[in-house]
Amino acid sequence: MKALRKNVLLAALALVLAVGLAACGNGAEGGDATTPDGNAGGASSDNKNVKTIELTLWDQSVGATDPSAKLIPEIVDEWNKANPHIQVKRTGTSGEQYKTKIKTALAANEAPDIFYGMGGGSFMQPYIENGNVLDITSYVTDDVKARIKPGVLETLEYEGKLYTLPVYTHIANLYINTELFEKAGASIPTTYTELLDAVQKLRAAGITPAVVGEKDRWPGMYWFNIIAMRQAGYDAVVEAFHDPSKWNSPDIIEAARKLQELAKAGMFNDSMFSMSYEEMLGAYNAGNAAMMFQANWVNAGIEDPSSATSGKVVVVPFPVFEDGKGTVHEFLGGSSDGFYISANTKHPDEAYQFLLYLSEQLGTRGFLAGAGLPTWSTEGLDTSSLSQLDLTFAELMDTAEAFIPWWDNVFPASSADTHKNLIAQLLAGEITPEQFAEQTAQLEPTELNL
Amino acid sequence: MDKVFSNKRDIAVFVGPTLLLFVAIVLVPIFVSSYYSLLDWNGIGRGEFIGLDNYIEMFTSSRALNSMKNSLLFAAASVFLQLPVSLLLALILASSIKGEGFYRTVYFIPVLISTVVIAQLWSKIYNADYGMLNTLLKTVGLPELARDWLGRRETALVASFIPILWQYVGYHMLLMYAGAKSIPSEIIEAAKIDGASRVRTALSVIIPLMKPVLKVSLVFSVIGALKIFDLIYVLTGGGPFFVTEVPSTLMYTTIFDTFRYGYGSAISVFIIVECLVFTIVINKLFRTE
Repeated sequence: MKALRKNVLLAALALVLAVGLAACGNGAEGGDATTPDGNAGGASSDNKNVKTIELTLWDQSVGATDPSAKLIPEIVDEWNKANPHIQVKRTGTSGEQYKTKIKTALAANEAPDIFYGMGGGSFMQPYIENGNVLDITSYVTDDVKARIKPGVLETLEYEGKLYTLPVYTHIANLYINTELFEKAGASIPTTYTELLDAVQKLRAAGITPAVVGEKDRWPGMYWFNIIAMRQAGYDAVVEAFHDPSKWNSPDIIEAARKLQELAKAGMFNDSMFSMSYEEMLGAYNAGNAAMMFQANWVNAGIEDPSSATSGKVVVVPFPVFEDGKGTVHEFLGGSSDGFYISANTKHPDEAYQFLLYLSEQLGTRGFLAGAGLPTWSTEGLDTSSLSQLDLTFAELMDTAEAFIPWWDNVFPASSADTHKNLIAQLLAGEITPEQFAEQTAQLEPTELNL
Repeated sequence: MDKVFSNKRDIAVFVGPTLLLFVAIVLVPIFVSSYYSLLDWNGIGRGEFIGLDNYIEMFTSSRALNSMKNSLLFAAASVFLQLPVSLLLALILASSIKGEGFYRTVYFIPVLISTVVIAQLWSKIYNADYGMLNTLLKTVGLPELARDWLGRRETALVASFIPILWQYVGYHMLLMYAGAKSIPSEIIEAAKIDGASRVRTALSVIIPLMKPVLKVSLVFSVIGALKIFDLIYVLTGGGPFFVTEVPSTLMYTTIFDTFRYGYGSAISVFIIVECLVFTIVINKLFRTE
């Protein structure tokens, strides 16, 4: 009797474990929204003899103050309702983790049908070259092109072909906390001399002139990029991107020197090397610094009613240099992030249809929600809900004559990394401007057609 | 039971599945990584066979060598700072003091917390503007000592040791406590009768009898320090200026930021070999008894 009971208990235990394992396995696949092979589950037919296609969409818009985080699910829902036999399943993952996730998926040939890619170039380049991304040039008809703002599609071409459609774009400008400036008796700078002057007055009043989250290295890079553009001018920078030996030139050395001069004058927060991008935003929105040089994706956070900066911040173009060749119409930024289609997708036509819908909807509605600047035609759009910051950005955008995307997107990947490290060393005073220029001249040329 | 142990077929049936899993999940990827480490490959597309060039680069790159030095420093700090503290706590707790169960639990709690949470916690403690450490220093009248702990070269490495050592003190303490407790009480009593003081008993009786447990702790501690990743990655990202970089964070940034899968694989193979070598050495050291 005892043996029988023991055997029954053992069998029951084994059964429970097996069921648990199976349930876990199924649960993981069924409940896990990040299953890349969405097409496998999609071929089920409904009673109308029409196959329901399932497409998977991955993106990185999950931030609390990111307008796209609300818009994308809305747009996906609208599409799903309007297209019952093309259902889209969306997964959002935040910033740096998203980059790792999509890179891994692409390398494993398990990419979703449609996914978000950082624009400008070096992020998507290896995948385009390797044939992981669908060429959509033939899909883009003339009437679609007519709805896109002039000049934008050209910036997205890779070797003459199109792989994405524009959504919205971002440019970087100088944010000024007018309340802090008034307290220090400083005036909004329009030239380099005025900038140095403002730094001195702000420091004298005990206010941190600018906050930069240099732990992540790219916030500091933005500062150097614009300073170099103001000092050397657009043409010289573009030339150097194609011929790296030109980085070792008097203008670039002077730009590096000016960045160090600003750092030594106390421009930046002492904690910049341990402060991340997110912490920088937190500090600025709490009113801990007077200036920040960032792109318009930070607008929502600044204008948030709970921020100490709401209604107190204006945005101006970065000061011009009296001895520089750059003009106030040259901007850092301007390229568009966008969505790409995996070359392995089983439904390229439907994927393109959704891509077109998503890009245009997110591009126009995102602009109205303050997520970015418009790349699609804005005729007939009601811009009354835009904040003052967003409107200023749109105005500045209209005055723009030339754009250079963030330099870590223009340089090839490994050089982009070195570039950011060199700037960090420059900010810390560990290398001289001459050394900086010398080492920058060792970087590789860009593979984009700027 | 003897029947099971002596029947080779039965043993195979029970060991088989796990062995299969082990080979598939552990051994095969190690061999595949070793193959990748001989390539110049960006992770997608075709790789170019370059033989041992990745390894040569690794041993001549100052950044890679610096990361190896850091991981060895971590290992040394674990062995010479963390383990003695764990041992002391274990011995005190094992000597039947009041609140033994309570302290055992409390010291073990950091081990249960996710490393990422610990890293976030300590990065807030170390924060230059509003962190607990700087605030404490300013309040007790030592504002000169307050600084950007994680942002300055001089302090970042030592500052990043502390959370790791702190987190696992309880883990090793628990292992050693179990070891100390398992010593038959007759031996301890015999020592007491012979007139040995508490300290003498600990040094001459308890610790030698705990050797197997100490070996286990030593191995885990060293290997853990050599492999450490998540805490450094979240706390400093390897910075500032790579002073806190360790081989695993270097491997991660090499692969995901610069698309150099071959070189990253070489680093991963190095970490595996390094851990294996240390395990063998430690085992040998303890076997000469």
